[in-house]
Amino acid sequence: MSTPGGRRGHGGPRYPAWLALPALGWYAAFFLAPLGFVAAYSFAELSGFVGVDFAWNLENYRYLWDPVYRDIFVRTLGLASFGTAATLLAGFPFAYWLARYSRRRTLLLLLVIVPFWTSFLIRAYAWLIILDPSFPLFRALDVDLLYTTTAIYIGVVYNYLPLMVLPLYAALERIDWSLVEAAQDLGDGPLRAFRRVTLPLALPGVVAGSLLVFIPLTGEYLIPAILGGNKTAYTGTLIAQEFSEAHDWPLGSAIAMVVIGSMTVVLVAFSRIAARGEVANG
Amino acid sequence: MNEHEIEDVPGGRRTDRKGFVAGAVATVAAIGLGRFGAVDALAASEADAGELFYYNWADYVNPKTYPAFTKATGIKVKKDYYVSNEALLAKLKGGARGYDLIVPTGYMVSILSQEKLLQPIQWSKLPAVKANINPKFRHLPFDRNDRFSVAKDWGTTGYMYRTDLVKERPKTWREFVNLTKGKYSGKVTVLDGIPEVIGSMLVMLGYSYNTDNASQLDKAKQELIALKPHLRAITSTEYKQMLIAGKIVMALGWNGDGLAVAAKKPAAYVIPREGGEFWVDSYAIPVGAKNPDAAHKWINYVYGARNNAVETAYTYYGSPVRPALLRGVLAKSILGNPAIFPSATVLAKLQANQITARGTALRNRIWTEFKNA
Amino acid sequence: MGRRLLAAHAVLVYAFLYAPVAVVVAYAFNGGRQTLNWEGFSTKWFSAALRDDSITSALRNSLLIAAGNAAVACLLGTLLALSLPGMWRSLRVPIDALVTMTLVTPEIVFGIAALVFFTEIGLTLGLKTILVAHVVFNASVVALVVRARFVGLGHDFEEASYDLGAGPLSTFRQVTLPRLAPAILAGGLLAFTFSFDDFYTSFFVSGAGTTTLPLYVFSSLRFGVSPIVNATAAMVLALTIGAIVLAYIVLRRSGGRAGGVFPGVR
Repeated sequence: MSTPGGRRGHGGPRYPAWLALPALGWYAAFFLAPLGFVAAYSFAELSGFVGVDFAWNLENYRYLWDPVYRDIFVRTLGLASFGTAATLLAGFPFAYWLARYSRRRTLLLLLVIVPFWTSFLIRAYAWLIILDPSFPLFRALDVDLLYTTTAIYIGVVYNYLPLMVLPLYAALERIDWSLVEAAQDLGDGPLRAFRRVTLPLALPGVVAGSLLVFIPLTGEYLIPAILGGNKTAYTGTLIAQEFSEAHDWPLGSAIAMVVIGSMTVVLVAFSRIAARGEVANG
Repeated sequence: MNEHEIEDVPGGRRTDRKGFVAGAVATVAAIGLGRFGAVDALAASEADAGELFYYNWADYVNPKTYPAFTKATGIKVKKDYYVSNEALLAKLKGGARGYDLIVPTGYMVSILSQEKLLQPIQWSKLPAVKANINPKFRHLPFDRNDRFSVAKDWGTTGYMYRTDLVKERPKTWREFVNLTKGKYSGKVTVLDGIPEVIGSMLVMLGYSYNTDNASQLDKAKQELIALKPHLRAITSTEYKQMLIAGKIVMALGWNGDGLAVAAKKPAAYVIPREGGEFWVDSYAIPVGAKNPDAAHKWINYVYGARNNAVETAYTYYGSPVRPALLRGVLAKSILGNPAIFPSATVLAKLQANQITARGTALRNRIWTEFKNA
Repeated sequence: MGRRLLAAHAVLVYAFLYAPVAVVVAYAFNGGRQTLNWEGFSTKWFSAALRDDSITSALRNSLLIAAGNAAVACLLGTLLALSLPGMWRSLRVPIDALVTMTLVTPEIVFGIAALVFFTEIGLTLGLKTILVAHVVFNASVVALVVRARFVGLGHDFEEASYDLGAGPLSTFRQVTLPRLAPAILAGGLLAFTFSFDDFYTSFFVSGAGTTTLPLYVFSSLRFGVSPIVNATAAMVLALTIGAIVLAYIVLRRSGGRAGGVFPGVR
């Protein structure tokens, strides 16, 4: 039946499917079940100060269909889009250089990850020092970026850049550069070779990186709180507010469901793009 | 297969790596899985040995008091902090158990007791409190039978400013708002506190701090939205440092913080003429406390007149101990300071938080729109 | 010429990535309390950090959780990775989607979901709940890393092993596992890192008294940047760089192509 060495899977001997059960069980209990509870709560209502009344209605969703909340969702999508575009723009050349031209790659890759080992919070607060008007850098430029939206954007790019670079690198690293060189030998200029050879092969990395940046950004809360002076509202801010201050769990759950809904849409869209890329590559 | 790959056959030099990896994984597993029994036992034994887990506002206890208390009772103090009553409620309601002592503001005491999150105080363990407490601080409206709380201190919510950086001498909320929108735009902060900020605007407009009235709240919201672009940050913990460093010139905040700033730089704290909030913070013991006895010991300790004076001299918040007892141990400059101990006429203008659930829900919505502005 | 530009860009990126790290480390040696005023070189904050109970207990909690979580995640993730390539497509695709979801769901959403869940089933929040929640996404990380490696391995050695009469279990133990080991280790390292630096999930399911290092930093940094926190961060950084260097040396020494730690890296 499933003896290794029997039917060959598309990579390695075939291991029995039931090996997946522990992980699946864990996911079911500690990922799907919690999300199920959140879905259930989104149909409930706040009663009193902290009580929950399972009225099973769409009140919360109706409440969210309001210009204020739509504003917040749109602003969040703007942040996520900017973050994805900016990290892609900055990260792609960097990953390309790493994959094609650099030596000692393990070391260089580790150097990208090492900053993660100083708590991300501390690094965010370090930006508070760097962006402070009395710190040499911006004092010279005579510009006060502290607690502005620009500061938030800088923080976002800073924090998510490695998440974009790593999948990009993984995809670019697999490319056989002799193909690119061959295309150039055949008369393509470097830019054309890039577009026709490199880019399609890199597409899975672009998709993976974009997913890893865009979707988590829709729930970002700390960076606006720390670098933005805690005065801008994003979806993440809202969820945090409903769960740790306003104590309106039903409303907070509804907001979370909206985020999950949009995340599913994005996932489906991206997987279509990736599938199309796979077909194109044959 | 080339030469190199043949060396990949297990059993050769690979045993070293295999052994290392196996050993590493085993060690990690042992540490991770096996230690939990040990960790739990450790936690339990620490509680028995006498530890107080104090969940408090930040910077609300004189740092000298902790070691002094440990010396007097042998109980070590472990600390954690929250920044608002709402955050405290969310934490407890969200299932956090194990704090021994918390300090909710009056209105939060009633909410917590309604939610059955507090355990009764045993007054038999509090002789110093019974002897020293100012009778005005017993049977407070939010805990008439003194079942769940003992007053810690009291204060007001107004605003403060650097007198050397702000030439004007504002005395009202309206001036605070106008200065923020005008001359000092970008150099002012407000508290990260929903009832405080909204309540201040309500009072400025002549309404009650505790109103439920949607149209009154709406007008307060308009004021806030107009104010928002001129604020530097929304914070309850950073404004003291920011004022001292001169990064902001005004801040909506608590009287004790205002005086702490004034101790370092020229500054003044204002109880605005239109009114404001008067609050009493109380010790309470949450359900699930591991060492309620230690909590009682702390409360009793800080009610000693001398110990209480030490606290007041650090936090600059009003003491609930009888004034006669304080006269000998508290500096006159503090005892007589109207910002710490306002007169009865001033107090009459102020209101305590008694916001209803409906009012809270309306305010939460306003806060969202405020942050969105 | 393009190569030079790209290299220059790479230098800029590294500078950008390390600027805050440099600031943190530099100010850890600041003698003064007010971070923005440099008041002389001093190492006093390092000893202060080591003497501070809240810091050492937060560090201990973080290490325990991260290590435990890495162990469980490696186990679950490796098993999952092994089972996936040979699975029927109709099973594999939804499972892949699930794994992707666990990785990509915004952490704040997962954090509150975990909070709601644990509260509803009445589990006391603490070390265990944080660990359990962390494993959810870290198992996926390990699964991804191990699977990528697994799929890239040829199965000639396994076939040779069966031809020689070994059963599936001993083949796995003696042939497959050692070859997967670098990937499992890499996955475990990543799982450890993500757990150690985690904020959102830990924030919501930590309960009372299980402060992890990021949570401690968060509550202490609300008062502005503080030298003792900088010192703590600098020490953790030094420790982990040391650990990675050590692991690298050991792996290099224990034979052959040490580059196998990161699948695909030569």
